[in-house]
Amino acid sequence: MGLVARVIEAAGVPTVTLDMIWAYQNLVGMPRVAAIEHPFGRPLGDVGDAGTQRAVLRAALAVFERAKAPGHVEHLPFRWHEEPSETKWHPAEPSPIIALLKRRRGEPGAADR
Amino acid sequence: MSAPDAPREVDPWRFTGSFLAGLLSRMIPAQPAWTSIPWTPVRKPLSRSRVALLSTAGLSMKGDPPFDMELERRSPMRGDPSWRRLRADATSASVEANHLHIDTGYLLRDLNVALPLDRLRELVAAGEVGAMADTHYSIMGYQGNDTSTLERESAPAIAEAMRREEVDLALLVPV
Repeated sequence: MGLVARVIEAAGVPTVTLDMIWAYQNLVGMPRVAAIEHPFGRPLGDVGDAGTQRAVLRAALAVFERAKAPGHVEHLPFRWHEEPSETKWHPAEPSPIIALLKRRRGEPGAADR
Repeated sequence: MSAPDAPREVDPWRFTGSFLAGLLSRMIPAQPAWTSIPWTPVRKPLSRSRVALLSTAGLSMKGDPPFDMELERRSPMRGDPSWRRLRADATSASVEANHLHIDTGYLLRDLNVALPLDRLRELVAAGEVGAMADTHYSIMGYQGNDTSTLERESAPAIAEAMRREEVDLALLVPV
């Protein structure tokens, strides 16, 4: 998504990327990042949690008004409501690339985690 | 509920698991790999800006061609590089999600977990945001080892579509 942010920004539309893996910043260089500590698949908040979804959206949009220079990374202060050990985000089957990498590492049938 | 907390650095690996954390962090250089970052200044306050959303969740309107997952199943180092338009009134009932790297079950129960169209509409109604675009967008985030079509064709086409709709601000939401 970082590459896409750069292209859209360069075309004249300011972007904020609401990013769980903000560490990608060294790889891609996004114009404005709102870093969020949520699991993959639910960046805004959990199912039915309109309050958190609205607060995260509002916080991400606020970055447009605060960022003054390219490469701005802002860490949003939200905490997910479950511990990582109880948070399920993986697909039912490992993605093809993860399955392939795990087979190469000699972990046949290993789960995608 | 997630609760706001004292300012602190987000841990990007908190939910990834150690295998994925190792894999992804090995791709990321210690120092910036880029020499410059594009920049378009924000021209208007949020309360007068038209906002469009772009998701990487592989979303398509039912009836439109879905993202192609067979390509990636045949060739795990490739991912569908195309893009889709989503209507502003899209809901979890009116979209299809194709993405092999996440559990799409959550967004198919409540689209706002990944594409917060209802929440954006509420901020517009409250006067915090000027307007929402008529069209929003999706790509499919996994591109394997070839991002060239996404970068050279899909992203410029999305940018052009946003400019035609006079979008002032684009919020990009990877999943």
